[in-house]
Amino acid sequence: MSIEIENIAKQFGTFTALGDVTLSIPSGELVALLGPSGSGKTTLLRIIAGLETPDSGRILFNGTDTTQSHVRDRKVGFVFQHYALFKHMTVFDNVAFGLNVRPKETRPTKEEIRERVSKLLRLVQLEGMAGRYPAQLSGGQRQRIALARALAVEPQVLLLDEPFGALDAQVRAELRRWLRKLHDEIHVTSVFVTHDQDEALEVADRIVVMNRGKIEQSGTPDEVYEHPANPFVLNFLGNVNLFHGRLQQTGEQPGAGENAVSYVRSHDIEIDRSPQDSTALCAEVRHIQKLGPAVRVTLAIAGSPELVEAELTRDVFQNLGLQQGESVFVRPRQVRVFVEDYQI
Amino acid sequence: MKFFKRHNNVLPGFGVTLGFTIFYLSIIVLIPLSALVFRTAGLTWGEFVTTVTAPRVLASYKITFGAALAAAVINSIFGVLVAWVLVRYRFPGRRIVDALIDLPFALPTAVAGITLATIYSPNGWVGRFLEPHGIKVAFTPLGIVLAMTFIGLPFVVRTVQPVVEEIETELEEAATCLGATRWQTLVRVIFPLLTPSILTGFALSFARGVGEYGSIIFIAGNMPMVSEITPLLIITKLEQFDYRGATAIACVMLLTSFTLLLVINLLQKWSRRYAE
Amino acid sequence: MSAPIHTVHSNKSPTGRAQTEPPVVRWLLIAAALIFLTLFLALPLAAVFSQAFEKGLTVYLDALKEPDTLSSIKLTLITAAVTVPLNLFFGVTAAWAIAKFNFTGKNLLITLIDLPFSVSPVISGLIYVLIFGLQGWIGPWLQEHDIKIVFAVPGIILATIFVTFPFVARELIPLMEAQGKEEEEAALVLGASGLQTFFRVTLPNVKWGIIYGVILCNARAMGEFGAVSVVSGHIRGMTNTVPLHVEILYNEYNYTAAFAVASLLAFLALITLMVKSIAEWKVRQQLENS
Repeated sequence: MSIEIENIAKQFGTFTALGDVTLSIPSGELVALLGPSGSGKTTLLRIIAGLETPDSGRILFNGTDTTQSHVRDRKVGFVFQHYALFKHMTVFDNVAFGLNVRPKETRPTKEEIRERVSKLLRLVQLEGMAGRYPAQLSGGQRQRIALARALAVEPQVLLLDEPFGALDAQVRAELRRWLRKLHDEIHVTSVFVTHDQDEALEVADRIVVMNRGKIEQSGTPDEVYEHPANPFVLNFLGNVNLFHGRLQQTGEQPGAGENAVSYVRSHDIEIDRSPQDSTALCAEVRHIQKLGPAVRVTLAIAGSPELVEAELTRDVFQNLGLQQGESVFVRPRQVRVFVEDYQI
Repeated sequence: MKFFKRHNNVLPGFGVTLGFTIFYLSIIVLIPLSALVFRTAGLTWGEFVTTVTAPRVLASYKITFGAALAAAVINSIFGVLVAWVLVRYRFPGRRIVDALIDLPFALPTAVAGITLATIYSPNGWVGRFLEPHGIKVAFTPLGIVLAMTFIGLPFVVRTVQPVVEEIETELEEAATCLGATRWQTLVRVIFPLLTPSILTGFALSFARGVGEYGSIIFIAGNMPMVSEITPLLIITKLEQFDYRGATAIACVMLLTSFTLLLVINLLQKWSRRYAE
Repeated sequence: MSAPIHTVHSNKSPTGRAQTEPPVVRWLLIAAALIFLTLFLALPLAAVFSQAFEKGLTVYLDALKEPDTLSSIKLTLITAAVTVPLNLFFGVTAAWAIAKFNFTGKNLLITLIDLPFSVSPVISGLIYVLIFGLQGWIGPWLQEHDIKIVFAVPGIILATIFVTFPFVARELIPLMEAQGKEEEEAALVLGASGLQTFFRVTLPNVKWGIIYGVILCNARAMGEFGAVSVVSGHIRGMTNTVPLHVEILYNEYNYTAAFAVASLLAFLALITLMVKSIAEWKVRQQLENS
């Protein structure tokens, strides 16, 4: 089912959570709402679910306006950040809840419910856990039960609020891959909220980058990563390693370029012993930090107060044999230029 | 007016439940209480002042507030002690003692009254040991303090106890590591943390004592000017069909209670000022 | 990864604590606390039962079988049977509105609900006399229509409702606030109706909080003395509740009978404390699990 978000705005007191957001989510896609906290991503998700009412704008499911319809009638699956599992019910009863509360006419028989639940528990790989209570499960298991519970009502849309937020790093990575695989199997239109760019880049078909209640950019992971629309997106998706440098007359400049700032990702900086071309700058190695497979080199550009961080692979680093205090040449491989008055 | 305007929320039933809450609150509490204020307003200012400052009435205030103050002080000292002992130390029967703390909440005041009067009467279990030393408890103002201590006992314990529980061991360890003695740690680190809750408990115990009736009348002796508490005076006036007098004195009591309630609320707000 | 995580809060055992007082100080403090509590709590409790059985079991039972005693027990039961359900219903409704929604005036409302706790019981009775009594607002009208409220059962019930008004609400509000509304939202998203959400999700979560509130409300309803004393009129066998009957017997110097009847109330208090302890423990557990 496709979702159309038209001019949605939402205010909490004096705080603008969402200011005129328009977005279209095609059927069957897995979309990430990515942004820092306070960017409005969770509010948008809750408005899609019907847990919040927008101040203005419309939400359309498959072209039908659902803005006024109640959560109950929207047929969405929602996975809460802290799972919101019913503590007093077993895993089985949790997953069966959505079926058990249906009116008699549409409620499946006990047998059907049992079958559906065990199928779902198989799907989330927790067959043996039906009789347990949420308190007896690990974080990752609770997460999967929450997902099974949401899927039990056969939702047309699956919404997940920071689905991996409360898990530790290893379980997180595992569940990420698993969610991607699950989506490839069941193909329900899914939207998840995250503040972790790696998560969005790895899992989503499409990333919607949000900031301060607005959408900064929407596109495939490649699009937003390779062609960020503005410094915010670049910054947010760029492993935080930024190259602040004022580029001088080097030809690559846009027309009115004096006040433009260029950004370079740290792994797009090349270090050489000798200048390769006219864009190379002289710099001094200030600090070397080894980060597992990569090495981060902090450099001071000659004649500039700014420090630059470059990320090299261990091979490249060893071939160069860099030492602290050495003078080298740096050359940005890929430069993105944005006009300076853009506010991040 | 934007009062009671809800900020949007998908859970159902806000209007119905809030409506019923306000309706029930009004008919059971607000309207009857306002009757008291309106009836008092029927008196002239002069009549009102004469009634509430008559010598017998003033004497009753002195006894009531004085005894409540004494009881609250006793309860603060022992309440902190009991709370500390219950949380920090382990001894046999601790759980039963802990449960028993709430006895004054659960035991009807009339039962407490006749029991205390019996125990502390000159030939009672405790009274017979006090009598030879010239200490009279039952049928004297001391008896009033005793009854008020009994009914106010749980307040300080129950407000201080959770605060003691919440104190992190790290805090004391940090103080010790920084060179503080145990006594310094108690006085400079722990006591300041407990102060708001002790004051809250003190105020609650005091407020309860001021309004108490049932447990006191059996032990007080109820001598006008000596051991007659204000609530009893209200009832006496009522029994003499002096409705105006009863109403005026009750109004003074009510204002006192509201002031105390306000103080307690402020104390509780203050006690949460370091909360994250 | 499957370790249960609710061990975080428990185990606050003070043993093994490096920071504590020397044993002598410790035992002195424990002794002081216990002596104080014995004098003020244990002794009165023991005295009730000891006085009640002073003249033997037969005298005790005879005192309870007396018709006036039986009728006072009946009135007390009726009062509690009306009061507790009403205040329970109110408490749950108020807690739902206050804990699950945000609105202006919320703190004021909570303070107003707490009011009856800070009003002297005598005043709680007086206000109903001022409204329904002969010299009261609608007293004359009531007399014309031959309806008795004050100095009759309805007055006793009204005064009891007043003094027990906040019990359930004030227990439930913080509990329901602490539990948040995510589970309710989850139930709604899964298609549950409002009532289904309440009965299947909210209620099981606050079950012990409700029991706690109800047991305290009941104890106070059955034991209230001051407020009821003002509105009752003390008509033996008619408008006497158990606590009022205790007073009458005591004032008639019929001590054994007074304490026999009082022992019933003391027994009720003990049961109340027991259920309360269990409920408290369960509520703590529920909060730790969430």
